[in-house]
Amino acid sequence: MISKTLFLLLGSICLIATPTTYAQRLPDDTTAPIKVATPHAQNIYGSIVRIEAATQVPNYREPWKAGQFSGGIGTGFIIGHNRFLTNAHVVSNARRLLITKHGSPQKHPAKIIHIAHDCDLALLEVEDFSPFEGLKPLEIGLMPKLETQVRVIGYPVGGNRISVTRGVVSRIDFNSYSHTRSDQHLVVQIDAAINPGNSGGPVLQNGQVVGVAFQGLRSADNTGYMIPPPVIKRFLKDIEDGSYDKYVDLGITEFAMFNPAMRKKFGLGRTTPGVLVASVTPDGPCDGVLLANDILIAINGKAVDAAGNILIGGEKVNMNEVVERKFSGDLIKLDIIRDGKKLNKTATLKPFPPIQMYAVQYGVQPRFTTFSGLVFQPLDRNLYAAHSFSNTRVRRIFAHYIDEGIFKEREDVVILTRILEDPVNTHVSGHVGTAIESINGVKIKNLKQIHELLHPNKIPKFFVIKCEGIERPIIIPGENAAEASKRTQMNYGISLSHRL
Amino acid sequence: MKISLFLTIFITTITSHAAAPVQKHVVRINSTLQKWSASQPWDKSAPSKRRALGVTMPNNQILTTAEMAADATYIELENADGNRTIPAKVVAIDYEANLALLAADNGDTDGFFKTLSPIKLGGGAKIGDKVSVWQLEDNGVPLITEVTIQSADIVSSFAQGHYFLTYEAKGSMQSASSSYSLPVIKDGKLLGLLTSYNSKDQITDVLAPEIIAAFLADVKDGNYVGFPSLGIGVSNTVDPNFRAWLKLPDDVGGIYVTHVRKDSPAEKSGTLKGDVIIEIDGKEIGRRGYYTDAQYGKLFWSHQVRGIHKVGDQVEITILREGQRKILTAILKRPGKRLVPAYTYDTAPKFLVKGGFIFQELTATYLKAFGKDWQSKAPLDLLDVLRSPDDYEAGRNRIVFLSAAVPTPATTGYERMRNLIIAKVNGKDIADIPSLVKAFQAPGSDGLHTIEFADGNPKTIYLDASVSDMVDGQLLKRGIPILSRE
Repeated sequence: MISKTLFLLLGSICLIATPTTYAQRLPDDTTAPIKVATPHAQNIYGSIVRIEAATQVPNYREPWKAGQFSGGIGTGFIIGHNRFLTNAHVVSNARRLLITKHGSPQKHPAKIIHIAHDCDLALLEVEDFSPFEGLKPLEIGLMPKLETQVRVIGYPVGGNRISVTRGVVSRIDFNSYSHTRSDQHLVVQIDAAINPGNSGGPVLQNGQVVGVAFQGLRSADNTGYMIPPPVIKRFLKDIEDGSYDKYVDLGITEFAMFNPAMRKKFGLGRTTPGVLVASVTPDGPCDGVLLANDILIAINGKAVDAAGNILIGGEKVNMNEVVERKFSGDLIKLDIIRDGKKLNKTATLKPFPPIQMYAVQYGVQPRFTTFSGLVFQPLDRNLYAAHSFSNTRVRRIFAHYIDEGIFKEREDVVILTRILEDPVNTHVSGHVGTAIESINGVKIKNLKQIHELLHPNKIPKFFVIKCEGIERPIIIPGENAAEASKRTQMNYGISLSHRL
Repeated sequence: MKISLFLTIFITTITSHAAAPVQKHVVRINSTLQKWSASQPWDKSAPSKRRALGVTMPNNQILTTAEMAADATYIELENADGNRTIPAKVVAIDYEANLALLAADNGDTDGFFKTLSPIKLGGGAKIGDKVSVWQLEDNGVPLITEVTIQSADIVSSFAQGHYFLTYEAKGSMQSASSSYSLPVIKDGKLLGLLTSYNSKDQITDVLAPEIIAAFLADVKDGNYVGFPSLGIGVSNTVDPNFRAWLKLPDDVGGIYVTHVRKDSPAEKSGTLKGDVIIEIDGKEIGRRGYYTDAQYGKLFWSHQVRGIHKVGDQVEITILREGQRKILTAILKRPGKRLVPAYTYDTAPKFLVKGGFIFQELTATYLKAFGKDWQSKAPLDLLDVLRSPDDYEAGRNRIVFLSAAVPTPATTGYERMRNLIIAKVNGKDIADIPSLVKAFQAPGSDGLHTIEFADGNPKTIYLDASVSDMVDGQLLKRGIPILSRE
């Protein structure tokens, strides 16, 4: 995988930048005369709106706290009656959303109808659509071709009014969507300047939307990324039934068949298609359908080459592109060679919740429980980012949670994230940042179970808390526990003892 | 010694009349050290130099710290005046206790040692004793600094995790040449070797004579064994809740046994994980692991095992198990071989190059080569082996892993593979590099080598036997001097 530093075009920088540029200079004699845009362009501008989000970002270090109040600016556009499309990251964790029409000072309260974090898209509506009536919804067009020209319109930093930049389509690729830090979909790279605030804005070609501007690359100039029409259309189709069901995945790891010895072993000629199935995710859609060491030669009838690519519309794209456009419940035909024999298999796509371990979560409050000054939190991407875990076992569990099937045993991997010092725990050290293995001999499977074991009806003489990789357990005398819990909550200002 | 250069305080205790004894007992040691490259195990890294002062011992031998001889490519002895030099070799070295004994290697030994005479090793010092640190100026003029013994403690000065009796002495020292380690003298006899100096606190660490005496006694028969170990991991019992759970009465201290190594003296004595050790050889061990030494006061329990005894000695361990007192007897020995060696001084890395793949045996040295933040930067799966070797031990002497793939016609498509633990090659279990070399001698009838990883995507890959042999030949021509070291 190519490693890149991607940045979202909306962040604290917008918040800083917006007020400083508020003293907008009105056009006067000293500035060049404003060119009056064509009536057609005026129409388009009207459909492109400025979105102002006030956010509350949860605090994963001190989960009982309300979190950080912040905000930012992004762009959106009308795609139908009271339907505004934008990026998920523009409106994530939002507590208040305001939409401003081009050329109007009025702010219209809005809310999220659907949000898809995995493909960084969201659909909004305003409380009162009447001021927007008569504006032409933008149409979603087709995939733009390489080297063709596009326009990016939005409300980026550096001014208050609408901004237009131009560029060409530089690359079409399967690439990371940095919003969740775990998703990869089709991405179109353009060389137009995309800046913070452009996020969620339309990229236009011949008056049609050919992309939603969403991220850039810090380490290179003139590289902007947009979400192309297939991804936008899939999102709009997915929500037709009233709910967003997320992307589904085949759940296999493929390995390119470049090595001649490897090809010889699997009996593949020099030009024979096929990629190696390196591993199959336990409990995933292909578990029981494919096996490691199968050669996948075609997916839904499209030949898969040695690198795992297929041909769609004349372009070589990753074979996952077939699955990308499908939904939960859809069937995928897989032609394979197993032990030299050709077989035709079918996999039924289905959601795979454990994969959420790796996706940044938005709009949810962190789960936790406290006990005698000990703070327990389930491991996920948010927690991992908030605490820098140095314990090798915790890091390893996180890395192998799916491929080693750890999720089957442990719905949550619960981490002791903090010890708030109190007479009852003051001599405990070295346990923070480890995973909880058992409490009073009972193996830990999820956070709720920890909470129940630590707050039983019949109080044991001792609570024996065993941390993974540390032989010496944490001992809390049963008779002191409740009082210590109360005392630490009071002393450390913990307003909420648990959220399961 | 790590003397910082910003030290500019004048020393008022320089006395020139001591010139004669200093020159009689001290030689400069000039060492050229060279480590092996972690990523290209056939190469040595760039050499570095260290200079220190050693002291004369009987039989024309020189005592210094192990730091001066570990990974040394060349050691030279030079007299105080700098008018005679002679190459030296290592007679015995202990990386754990940080001691080395050197002898002249070829050359005019008698001539070099003619003006020198052995120094006697003295007994221990008391807290408050004033002792002298010997240094030499460039021109051979002695520099003698008086320091005051402040405390005795168990300190690790070279190989990580090995703690030995060390004095901490206070006194302001100055930087001079050949000061990486220095002799410390009391009443004309050797007290110990200075292993480090902290210029901020003006504290020096001095390795104690008891440890030097044990080292020298061990060397005597020509077969150096090393310091013994009990083979346990412990945790303190300060926490009153933990003590209540362990049913420890208030009048005992004790240390909680968290780990008992396989085949260790502790295991053979019957010590179990979860026991609380309350006495060693009748000396009561406190809650933090300290006992009261007649001479030095509070010392950490490990000195009662490693610092006082030698291999083969018996040690009595009193434990509390489920509140019951038990006395166990351990016969001390050297620690057993580890799956992942903790240090590899003077040992070249074992490796095999096959078709461009570089296979190595995992060592802590390899992981530490990832830099200062190696504990977070080194490959996670390999770090886990270091942390939890018990989970990987079955059927292995060492962990063999693929450390890198040089792009060659044989490794096409495998270029990004690295840090993968090897389970089997050509159907044979891989226990170490020799077994890997042997396994590669028998490719399948289809002319392919089968390499199975313990964990990987994919788990099994193939390598063309004849292409990789051809590639090996080319690699030799391109300057890789050897393809394996077993």
